[in-house]
Amino acid sequence: MKMSETLGVLLICGFLSLVANVVGTKNGFVEAIPGMLFLIALAFLGIWLGKVIPGGIPGVAYVVTIGCILTVPGVPCAAAISAAVSKVGFMQLCTPILAYAGVAICKDLDVFAESSWRIVVVSCVVFVGTYIGSAIIAQLILKAIGQI
Amino acid sequence: MKDFRLHLIVLILIVVAEKIGNISITVGVGKIVLLPMMYALLMGVATAPRFTKISSEKNVRTASSLLGVTLMLLMARYGTLVGPSLPKILAASPALILQEFGNLGTIIIGVPLAVFVGLKREAIGAAHSVAREPNVALIGERFGLDGAEGRGVMGVYICGTVIGTIFFGLMASLAAAYLPFHPYALAMAAGVGSASMMTAAVGSLSAMFPQMADQIAAFGAASNMLSGLDGLYMSIWMALPFAEWLYRKSYRMKYGVDPEPPVVRNLEEGKEGEAK
Repeated sequence: MKMSETLGVLLICGFLSLVANVVGTKNGFVEAIPGMLFLIALAFLGIWLGKVIPGGIPGVAYVVTIGCILTVPGVPCAAAISAAVSKVGFMQLCTPILAYAGVAICKDLDVFAESSWRIVVVSCVVFVGTYIGSAIIAQLILKAIGQI
Repeated sequence: MKDFRLHLIVLILIVVAEKIGNISITVGVGKIVLLPMMYALLMGVATAPRFTKISSEKNVRTASSLLGVTLMLLMARYGTLVGPSLPKILAASPALILQEFGNLGTIIIGVPLAVFVGLKREAIGAAHSVAREPNVALIGERFGLDGAEGRGVMGVYICGTVIGTIFFGLMASLAAAYLPFHPYALAMAAGVGSASMMTAAVGSLSAMFPQMADQIAAFGAASNMLSGLDGLYMSIWMALPFAEWLYRKSYRMKYGVDPEPPVVRNLEEGKEGEAK
C-alpha cells in the first residue's frame, strides 16, 4: 500500500472513530479532534519508520513505543498529549476496526464452515486454557510482588 | 481505499452499534458485558455476500486489505495508555513476562483432548499455542501449512478470527464474575491472543471495573506487546517440544501404539533427489 493511501485510510478510520466517539461517549466531536490528529500522525509516522528503517522491525512496534515514550509522566508535552487523547475513547476506536473485520471475515467463513467440529472444540479449549493459565500465573506473581 | 460503499456501510454499522451501547446481562452473581464492538463485528458479518448481500465481494476484499492499517490507530492509542502507567507496568513486569508460561496450560488440556476427539498430528499444530499470526508462521516454516500440523494451526487460527473476539470478551466477563482473579491479572491474561481479542477482553473488564479502566487497558496492551515478542520463543523452545511429547503419550494411551514419526519438512531432500 502506498503511503498516501495509508494516510487516506487512517483519516477515514479516524473520522469513523470520531463519529463512534460522539455517539458512544460524552465527548464532543470537536474536542476530540486534536487527540485524533495526534493518533493519526503517530500511526503514520510509525508505519513510515517501519518502512524506511532497516532491520525488519514492523511499524506497529514504532507506533506503540513512540506513543508510550511521549506520554511517560515527566516528558515534555506528556500531560498535554494525554489530555488530548483521553477525549478519544479506546473502545470507540475498536468499533470501526471490528466493523471492517466483520465484513472481512466473510472471506474466512467458508473455511470456518468446512473445518470440523473437532477443531472448533479444540479451539475453544485452547482459548480458555491459555486465558485461565495466564491469569493464574499473573495473579500469583502480582500477589507475590505485592502489586495487588 | 476509494471504496466509499464500504466506508458508508461501516459508518452506519458503528452508529447503530454505539447507539445500542454497552449491555450488561446479569447471570447469577456475575454479569456478562456486551460491547458495541461485538455488535459491529456481528453486523459486519451479517452484511456478507452470502447473507444479506449488503456488502459485495469487492467490499470484503477491500475491508480485509485495510484491516492492518486501521489497527494502527488503536495501537497508537494503546501506546498512549501504556506511557502514563509505565512505572506501574515496570513494577509488574515479572508477572507480565512469566505469564507467558500460562500457554503450557493450553497444551496440558488441549493436546490430550485433541487426540481424544480423533485428531492425529493436527493436535500439535492446534493445541501448541493460541494460534495467532506468529504461531501460524512458525508451524508453516517447520512442517508446512499443507501438512497435518498446518491444518491444525490454521483451523484454530480461523476459529480465532471468526469467534475469538466475542469469545474472549465473554470469557473475560465470566472469569471476572465467577473466578477469584484480580482485574489486573485478567487484564494481563487478555494479552495472550490477537489485538482484537485483547481489546474485547479489556473492554469487558473496563466496563465492569470502570474505576480501573486505564490500568486494565495498559496492562492488557503491555502484555499483548510482550506476548508478540517472547511468545514466539516460548513456542519454539518449550511449547512445541512439550506438545510433541504429550502427543506421543496421549496417542499411546488412546491407540495402544506409538504414533507415526513426524514428517519434518526438509528443503534439502528435493534437491538431492534431482541430483541423482
